[in-house]
Amino acid sequence: MTVTALNRLADELRNLLGSDRVLTGDSDLLVYECDGFVIEKNSPDIAVFPTSTREVSEVVKLCDASDVPFLPRGAGTSLAGGCLPVGGGVMIVLTRMNAILDINLRDGYAIVQPGVVNVRLTEALKGSGYHYAPDPSSQGACTIGGNVATNSGGPHTLKYGVTVNHVLGVEVVMADGRIAYFGGRSQDGPGLDLAGTVVGSEGTLVIVTEVCVRITKDPQGCRTMLAVFDSVEDATNAISGFVAEGIIPAAMEMMDQGIIVALEQAFAFGFPLDADAVLLIEVDGLEASLDEQRDEVTRLCKMHNAREVRLAKDEAERQKLWKCRKQAFGAIGRLSPSYCTQDGVVPRTKLPHILSRIREIGEQYDIQVVNVFHAGDGNLHPILLFDERNEAEVERVLKASGEILDECLACGGSVTGEHGIGVEKISFMNKMFQPCDLAAMERLRIAFNPTNRLSPDKLLPTAGACGIEQNHPGRRAAL
Amino acid sequence: MSVTHESLPITETIQPTSLEEVMETLQTASRVGEAIYPVGGGTSLDYGCPAKQPGKALQLTDLSKVIEYPAEDMTITVQAGMTMQQLDTILAERGQQLPLDAPQADTTTIGGVLATNTSGPRRLGFGTARDYLIGVQAVDGLGRIFSGGGRVVKNVAGYDFCKMLIGSLGTLGVITQVTFKLKPRSTRRTIVACHIDDLEQLESVLASMIHSQTYPAALEFVAGPKWSDFTDDTNKLYAIFEGPNTDLEWMSDQVAQEWRQQGVNNITTLEDPEAQNLFSRLTEFPANENTALTLKANVVPSGITSMIQAARELDPNCSIQAHAGSGIANLIFDEFPTEGLSRSLTGFLRPAAANHHGNVTVLRNPSGQEMTRQSVWGGLDHPFWMMDRIKQQFDPQNILNPERFVYS
Repeated sequence: MTVTALNRLADELRNLLGSDRVLTGDSDLLVYECDGFVIEKNSPDIAVFPTSTREVSEVVKLCDASDVPFLPRGAGTSLAGGCLPVGGGVMIVLTRMNAILDINLRDGYAIVQPGVVNVRLTEALKGSGYHYAPDPSSQGACTIGGNVATNSGGPHTLKYGVTVNHVLGVEVVMADGRIAYFGGRSQDGPGLDLAGTVVGSEGTLVIVTEVCVRITKDPQGCRTMLAVFDSVEDATNAISGFVAEGIIPAAMEMMDQGIIVALEQAFAFGFPLDADAVLLIEVDGLEASLDEQRDEVTRLCKMHNAREVRLAKDEAERQKLWKCRKQAFGAIGRLSPSYCTQDGVVPRTKLPHILSRIREIGEQYDIQVVNVFHAGDGNLHPILLFDERNEAEVERVLKASGEILDECLACGGSVTGEHGIGVEKISFMNKMFQPCDLAAMERLRIAFNPTNRLSPDKLLPTAGACGIEQNHPGRRAAL
Repeated sequence: MSVTHESLPITETIQPTSLEEVMETLQTASRVGEAIYPVGGGTSLDYGCPAKQPGKALQLTDLSKVIEYPAEDMTITVQAGMTMQQLDTILAERGQQLPLDAPQADTTTIGGVLATNTSGPRRLGFGTARDYLIGVQAVDGLGRIFSGGGRVVKNVAGYDFCKMLIGSLGTLGVITQVTFKLKPRSTRRTIVACHIDDLEQLESVLASMIHSQTYPAALEFVAGPKWSDFTDDTNKLYAIFEGPNTDLEWMSDQVAQEWRQQGVNNITTLEDPEAQNLFSRLTEFPANENTALTLKANVVPSGITSMIQAARELDPNCSIQAHAGSGIANLIFDEFPTEGLSRSLTGFLRPAAANHHGNVTVLRNPSGQEMTRQSVWGGLDHPFWMMDRIKQQFDPQNILNPERFVYS
């Protein structure tokens, strides 16, 4: 990729989109040098802002012809470097493709462009009796295209499923610019489930330019509770107790003392500052049985030594509780200048074990770790607090993070439940999968993206992914 | 036991007892270019296009062990040759279920259900195989083993081979081991039934269900002679409810009230054992062997009545089961259409389906007539070219179920 070739490509892109939708200046591109994963940074050479599928296709064809790598980007909220332009190239920013194209209640779907912010769809559905179920904590900012790329979750996915369970079809631009439609508005189309296959592929197989999502009937009512525990162990045992009794709430989130303190400072909700852990539990469904469900939840929590189970008294209090939970990451700034979030998953019965191991690992490396996570499906988000100016501490954070994820794998779990592999966890793919599994993934990648110009050096540790660290010595310095 | 079927030229049956044996069989077959027909319970051997290339049946039924069942985590890992009924018995002991409603559960295997993406009435409330399979191990057309997913309920590491393999009809790999997430077992089921006068009324009731206060696990419309031994009123809509007792009682009263507002009469409520009996009938319907032709239509839910109308124009006596909330209709014809399969599809059914964003595929055609790729799978506008590219990567010698699936 020579400077001349890039300049020529930039000219072609300007001809296609107009100069106001093509950025090439260093300061303009700075915003695109990383996403929510700030440890590695690299600016793209060019950023473009297409407004239609055809434009995306033309951009891809130009990149392909110029042998320049390219990748899509939504709102850039990925926590794993999913939209880091490794090796530069063209960043295709999809945020201007933000129209809700169709909402069809009778047939239970909505069609959106990839740049639609997640919560906008639910807002658009307000009053219809329906909503879009996947609700990542970043839903006020993240795009549905990005959700499709990472197969995003969220608190209510415990009952309602993750993004892939709600995607009926996708319009895509292939790595050579060809436009295709996988799946559709109806279910069970003939042949392979290509739509399901590309969801969660982190932009390495296709660029999604339109999504047909399933919409979900609103629950008639819900009960939201805050269960207060004097020990993390009791709280995690309660979670296992729920699952063992076959009770799956709509959401079940855990927050430990460290995060409670920060949240209380930020939102003054009235959290008990002396509690070791709280569980935010929501049950939903028919009013006919909600109080029964509420009593059952209370009984189970009390059985596991909950000090108190508080019921959100009205919708305003419920909203405030959820705001605290979903904006927890924003409150962490009160605890330390920098933080690093992990996304491990363990079988739910292993939660007591993994949380005590996380505490031990934190103590061993002298790193404060706080926890706020999707307890109901065993999806941890330990947050390691540090000061990036302290190099020795940075070193310890990296080691502690690695040990936590290793422990998740040792428990039979995964290194990512919803954030994706991106570049952050690429070195863990070898630990989670056998070489033959990775070779099969490489074959699937080749089937869709044979030139590997689309999102190179992501997700798969092949093609010299170990080389990423060597090529980017800034990785640690930037942390 | 050797497998024979008129639509598959099977020369020999291999019944491996280990994963290694599966791999060796496929490695050898790929070297010599011999076709392999993966077989589970043998209930869907006539699904897809008939094969012409002689080859071996690879029957997985001896690979049927439980690998791990951590019931408290609500997941199970099993070998794919286990029957659905065996699995259900194991899950029932711990009050859990895999709610896929596959017919012929005593013979059909887990691998077979996944390969054919079989689903049933409760797909409306519970989803389909893609909502439950969280980990998969398979052996590809060169005998190479590969896995995807894992054993935890939430996991986005790597590409999702679960989705790639579900419904692939054994053409990309032989599924050997799987992990499912599970649901608590439904303790009680209530079915509310009503008579439907005509298709106009059916659509108005179905459309009204969009704003129903109830959450049915299934919404089934049945009609035609195949139902006549069960009920003398064969234009029926059933709403199936599962859940705690208080919810069931509330929902069955509520839906009856909502239906009455739509002008529907003859509303009855079925409890077990009648409800169970009807549910079995609904589950088994697509597997009915007493058929001249069984088709499956998939359309947007509002297109269901058009599909029923098109089917009746082709044959007023056809028997129908519609998973009406999901836009799926299974159609059984007692006589092979006089205009032939291809013309029936292109002349009547596929245009109706296309008007509603859907397609029609052939589930069973005992005559074997006109079973071309186009007539069996339809969907000309689907990206089969992309599927070809995946096939090329996972079975480059084209030994797995050659000719039966959508590839060119």
